[in-house]
Amino acid sequence: MTDLGQDKHRSGPPGLKPLDQGIYVHVPFCSSTCDFCAFYQIKPTAGAVDQFLKGIEAEAELIPWRGPISTVFWGGGTPGLLSPDDLDRLAKIIRKKTVIQPIEWSIELAPAWVTKARLEVLRDNGINRISMGIQSFSDELLDGLGRQHTPKQVYKAYELIREMGFKNVNVDMMFALPGQTEAEWLKDLEEAIALKPDHISTYCLTFEEDTALWIKLSEGRVKLDPEHEAKLYEATWEKLHKEGYQQYEVSNFAKPGFECRHNLSTWKMQEWIGLGPSAASQHDGMRGVNPADLALWSQQLNAGKRMQEDRRVLTADLLLEDSLIFGLRVNQGVDLAQARIRFPDANWTFVEAKLSTLESEGLLKISSEVVRLTNKGRLLADSVGTELLGLGSD
Amino acid sequence: MSELYTRNFCIIAHVDHGKTTLSDRLLQQTNTVSDRVLTAQHLDSMDLEKERGITIKSHPVTMHYKAKDGITYKLNLMDTPGHVDFSYEVSRSLAACEGALLLIDAAQGVEAQTVANAHLAFAQKLKVIPVINKIDLPSANLEMCIKQLEDILTIPEEEVILASGKSGIGITDILEAVISRIPPPRWTEYKQPRCLVFDSIYDSYRGVIAYVRMFSGTIKAGDMMLLMSTGQKAEVKEVGIFMPKMEKIASLGPGDVGYIVSSIKEPSDIKTGDTITLANKAATEMLPGYKEVRPMVFCGLYPIDSNDYEKLKAALGRLRLNDSAFVYSSESSVALGFGFRCGFLGLLHMEIIQERIRREHDVDIISTYPSVIYKVKTYAGELMEVDNPVNLPDAGIIEQISEPTIKASIHIPNDSMGDILAMIMEKRGTVDHTDTLDANRVMLTCALPLNEILVDFNDRLKSVTHGYGSMDYEPGEYRVSDLVKMEILVNGDPVDAFASIVHRDKADGRGREFCERLAKIIPPQMFKVAIQAAIGGKVIARDNVKEMRKDVTAKCYGGDISRKRKLLDKQKEGKKKMKQFGKVSIPSDAFIQVLKNQ
Ligand SMILES: Nc1nc2c(ncn2[C@@H]2O[C@H](COP(=O)(O)OP(=O)(O)O)[C@@H](O)[C@H]2O)c(=O)[nH]1
Ligand code: SF4
Repeated sequence: MTDLGQDKHRSGPPGLKPLDQGIYVHVPFCSSTCDFCAFYQIKPTAGAVDQFLKGIEAEAELIPWRGPISTVFWGGGTPGLLSPDDLDRLAKIIRKKTVIQPIEWSIELAPAWVTKARLEVLRDNGINRISMGIQSFSDELLDGLGRQHTPKQVYKAYELIREMGFKNVNVDMMFALPGQTEAEWLKDLEEAIALKPDHISTYCLTFEEDTALWIKLSEGRVKLDPEHEAKLYEATWEKLHKEGYQQYEVSNFAKPGFECRHNLSTWKMQEWIGLGPSAASQHDGMRGVNPADLALWSQQLNAGKRMQEDRRVLTADLLLEDSLIFGLRVNQGVDLAQARIRFPDANWTFVEAKLSTLESEGLLKISSEVVRLTNKGRLLADSVGTELLGLGSD
Repeated sequence: MSELYTRNFCIIAHVDHGKTTLSDRLLQQTNTVSDRVLTAQHLDSMDLEKERGITIKSHPVTMHYKAKDGITYKLNLMDTPGHVDFSYEVSRSLAACEGALLLIDAAQGVEAQTVANAHLAFAQKLKVIPVINKIDLPSANLEMCIKQLEDILTIPEEEVILASGKSGIGITDILEAVISRIPPPRWTEYKQPRCLVFDSIYDSYRGVIAYVRMFSGTIKAGDMMLLMSTGQKAEVKEVGIFMPKMEKIASLGPGDVGYIVSSIKEPSDIKTGDTITLANKAATEMLPGYKEVRPMVFCGLYPIDSNDYEKLKAALGRLRLNDSAFVYSSESSVALGFGFRCGFLGLLHMEIIQERIRREHDVDIISTYPSVIYKVKTYAGELMEVDNPVNLPDAGIIEQISEPTIKASIHIPNDSMGDILAMIMEKRGTVDHTDTLDANRVMLTCALPLNEILVDFNDRLKSVTHGYGSMDYEPGEYRVSDLVKMEILVNGDPVDAFASIVHRDKADGRGREFCERLAKIIPPQMFKVAIQAAIGGKVIARDNVKEMRKDVTAKCYGGDISRKRKLLDKQKEGKKKMKQFGKVSIPSDAFIQVLKNQ
């Protein structure tokens, strides 16, 4: 049952801005596996899709819903490969729990799967933000990643999305692909900009363990070049800034007002409910991850249980630490005044000492109670994060 | 059997000239070991030695050979360590013999080490039998070898035996020559019993087992023996010979080579080169040649994981049991924590011990920059010996510092003469004289400061001469020299493990090179880190560690938080394993890398 009333858990101490609550649905289906992919994904057989949708329904019933849902995000996998009917079914399950229209409802779409029928279903159910994975406009580089679309499909899909009236569109691009020069990347990026999306995510290629790409790396067939990557980051930031896209996170840029609210909420350590195999949740004072295994996940749900791994109690120290580690990725920075209200009992002495060391090293700046990474610090966000660990570690 | 039918000999050879193969042939021919048992290389028993092609521990063996004259002779073959670091051990093994086979690779000719050891053998008045080995090789150059033997060692052509350990050529000739040319055991008429300790090993059940060569008299279980260098007495528990395994016998008599187990449990009590006599019939003169062996090269050894301190201590203790030339005592370093100051005969000895600690005792260690013993005289007239740069007193009170030198003989091809002379100059050496070995090679006799050859001299010699150069050395005198302590500062803090004593003229170059290398080895840091070399607080060279440019995960969303935390935790753990200098983290192996190949 949905409870719209004033909830003890959700109303914070006086002065604290209300926290967002989101839903993330992991749709674990892909027709083939990309070389860099470390997500949980399987082949979309009819049986598996049905099992998945039944599971989502069961899981949604087990969640102790509290307060309104501000954002929904369907990721994957490739949510867009679900049939229009299945998309509709999934949307109806979610809508039953959101009650009022969420402010932002995103879906990740792969260009190859964008059809009018799908877009209609999505639009009619209130999905208002499309995130399309392009990665590159170079056939050669796309092949190198094992991706399944062509630049032509991208243009067609994008046009259709706009035609169908979607006002908030993101495109994902990828850089530092093996063999890609700075000039090639900027050309790619320009093509993406030419589409006039409202939001652009640019991801530096990451070598995740157990991916095809990782194997290539360990065999020495591709090489890491942090200096080159750093240059591409800087070039990207500069280019997008010039084109009117404000950077608001390490890899995310938007026209004013088009920042992804769902993702901002996770970096700020607000709350989200994860549905589907391998989805992570942070709500109700706990953090946890669903099993990355469709069969196991649905079997537990059929038995009326929601099983999670890596479960942790959200202590003030852990949340403060993560608000910093992840919040600093956001250009706006971390509002220490808000954090002090939200986590009055955390070990602030430790945090302040750490922050001031990092500030003296030119990695971040603190002004009027807001901490922000410098550009140098942003490129070293993981090292900064490592330095900030210690409050909430086991 | 009368000692008249005993022959004691050893094999002098350069690494890889075929000593092991030939020894195995001799054991085979005399049926000392069956062909089946003779799997590989009986005398070299330690893995490391095999890998490096050197022998550290002498392991004698007794063979019985029925000669052409119909008499069965007892032949004791001594093994000799094959490296300059162990020249004292070599000299003691030689002292236990009356003759030596001088083995020369037919394709390689005479090497520096062969010459040095041949001279040691001559000095001991041993009968030297020249053997040109590996004559089966297509590249064999008998003429060159014969000429070199004549020119360099004045050995006449008629004495040369041609052999091949591999094909079994000349084995009988060698055995016959051992009998006919090498004299029977010497000094047998001396009135009291005397035997020479040429090695010892430690056995956890039986204590110290001395390897001995009996010269006069007999020793048997129950006797009260007397160690002449210290006057210490001990009861003999067992005597025996090597067949090649230890085999107990009733008594050791004149000319015998064997072992003595006594009540002595402390390895350092039995010193190589000492003379054992009997307490009730004590000899008055020791056998000649005894020396206190003193370590020449020192370094600090530290466990990489400080929890391994006790394990390292135990490892050092066990290594010392079988190697009394190796010494250690505890020390601590600001940079490296608790560890040990260790002394070695030379560089190879140092490397071998380090390698053993890592491999056989499974302790990860890191070593400081090696040092020699400097003699320091202060204005106050105080004299002190310093083997650790950290202990060098303040420059202001030092009147003079002297450093040990070596006398080296270096064999090189003519065409690398220029490079080698330049290298000797660079290493502050002087060439005393140059001898022509043959049409293609020369021998340089030179004096060099020991600290200059500590790390890369031999490697560079080999590379400049494309492997043809070789070197042998013996300790020389101490010389006053303009030496200074060079400190290395990381981010402004001196790192004691990197301190070294260098010649003033070389400080700039060395400092620059060191800073550059260290700056390269330390992984990129989040902020600017300076590496400086300084003398007496004055910076003489500097470099910067690379600044880390990019360390950021591209994709980081709600689903990644737990995983991401784990990654950061791992990164933090990794950092903890590094040595922390202020805010700089240096991986432990950076020390090894930078201290290596100095
Ligand atoms: N052709 C040939 N090779 C030999 C002969 N004796 C030894 N070798 C080879 O030379 C190398 C060194 O031999 P080894 O006996 O281990 O030399 P050590 O280092 O002096 O003990 C090995 O590869 C042997 O197989 C020989 O008489 N003829
Ligand atoms: S489409 Fe996405 S989830 Fe599927 S394999 Fe490619 S990267 Fe992985």
